Amino acid sequence: MTDTSIKDFEAAIAELESIVKKLEDGDLALEQSLALYERGVQLSRFCHARLEAAEKRIEILNERGELKPAPDSLTRG
Amino acid sequence: MSDLFDLPFEEDDEAAGLDAPADARRAAPLEPPARRVFRVSDLTVAIRDLLEDRFVEVWIEGELSNCKVWNNGHLYFTLKDDRSQLKGFMFRSTLRYLKFKPADGQHVIARGKVTVYEPRGEYQLECEHLEPKGVGALQVAFEQLKQRLQQEGLFDADRKRPLPALPRKIGIVTSLDGAAIRDIVNVLGRRHANAHLVICPARVQGADAAPDVARALRQIARVPGVDVVIVGRGGGSIEDLWAFNEEMVARAIGRVPVPVISAVGHETDYTIADFVADVRAPTPSAAAEIVVARQDEFCGRIDRQHDRLVALVRSRVQGLSRRVHALDSRPAFAGVPRGVAMRSRDASELSHALTRAVRERLGARTRRLQLLDRELQTFDAGRRLAGIRTRLVAASERLRGAAARRRDRAAAQFHESAARLESLSPLAVLGRGYAVAWNAAKTRVLRDASAVQPGDAIAVTLSRGEIEAKVTKTS
Repeated sequence: MTDTSIKDFEAAIAELESIVKKLEDGDLALEQSLALYERGVQLSRFCHARLEAAEKRIEILNERGELKPAPDSLTRG
Repeated sequence: MSDLFDLPFEEDDEAAGLDAPADARRAAPLEPPARRVFRVSDLTVAIRDLLEDRFVEVWIEGELSNCKVWNNGHLYFTLKDDRSQLKGFMFRSTLRYLKFKPADGQHVIARGKVTVYEPRGEYQLECEHLEPKGVGALQVAFEQLKQRLQQEGLFDADRKRPLPALPRKIGIVTSLDGAAIRDIVNVLGRRHANAHLVICPARVQGADAAPDVARALRQIARVPGVDVVIVGRGGGSIEDLWAFNEEMVARAIGRVPVPVISAVGHETDYTIADFVADVRAPTPSAAAEIVVARQDEFCGRIDRQHDRLVALVRSRVQGLSRRVHALDSRPAFAGVPRGVAMRSRDASELSHALTRAVRERLGARTRRLQLLDRELQTFDAGRRLAGIRTRLVAASERLRGAAARRRDRAAAQFHESAARLESLSPLAVLGRGYAVAWNAAKTRVLRDASAVQPGDAIAVTLSRGEIEAKVTKTS
């Protein structure tokens, strides 16, 4: 996600929760509700994208500080 | 022991035994017998050789006193009982493997060899092993270190950091050959967690384990993106786990700049590392579960909020749509018969315009909503976990209530405006069975019976249609 207004994963969830709360108890105009909805959707997509982006990978850090891929025996579990 | 002292004097005895004639002894000035004279150092060396040969490995029990670690790092002490004292020392290189901190007054068992410090001519014990007598040595060491680190504040609750919601990279310090790493990889695989692991292998057992684990912790902390570290090993005896009770490991954990999860051995074993770590997992598998559970928790939160968001807005828009359709069928919006006064046509047009406007606005919104919805569905697929669904039920109940309230409010607004529109229309009254009577030219509404005579023609407008009539009687 390229939206720079979303700080990080945890901030995004917090904002999403506050939006839902506002929609739940606020006496908002339809127009305003929909604007909040769109923002909420954007945040939700950001979070999911971050989750998807996490990559399954195993690396070994050797004593010289070099990162090497783990042996297959390990990655196969 | 007596043979020790036989040797140096043997030759002296022989020398003294050389017989000189009795008279010569008397006549000649008294000459010392031919003697074997030792230099101090030669004697000392001889004594040292004797002692070192004789006491290569001895076990001595006694009480420690004058314990002191010198600048050179070696430990010096005196071992004593109620009658004697024995000086002793321990080299720095051996000292570091000691599991407890020797202190005056401790009753200990020492193992070592007897040696002689030549410059002083003192015999002493070169200690190779020292253990407290009575309580297990390891237990004493554990309690001492635990107490010390606790006083330093290394275990304080306010030092504990929260784990990241979504770790970018999970650092792991353990042996590549052990069960721990396999358990961790298995758990993450089973939970379908897309985790990026960086393993820094370390020896987790034996004399080198503690410095190696500490080294690995320092190394892993420097890898960019590692925002949580799991350090541990599978279960074993207290000796096997000992590295995790060593001060250098405890301090290395304390210095890692990101949260550390300790995962040592089986559930019942608490180590010093467990106290220092930000989170203690009873086993390596449990450590992996903790990391994943944290991820699940956040996934659940997102999905929950997302569902509420969608349901709230969808029900609001749908509620409004339904109301607009309902308005269409109201009498106020029914076809207005021709020939009725302009005001009713105005009202009718007004109401249609309103309906159209609202419907268009809602239509656009509904389409936007549906579009967003579809996009969202693609993110939803396969993401939900069974547990989260059940938690969702409670949230959606709440949500439905809120949505219903909003919908009712909107409905009430529409009712009101519809009612206002209806009141503008004369048809509303006709609909209830009333009729309007006019003069024949339909230029005047008849309000008074005296305005017509029997035989006059009049017109009557009903809710539907008109009647041309003749007055037969007035009263």
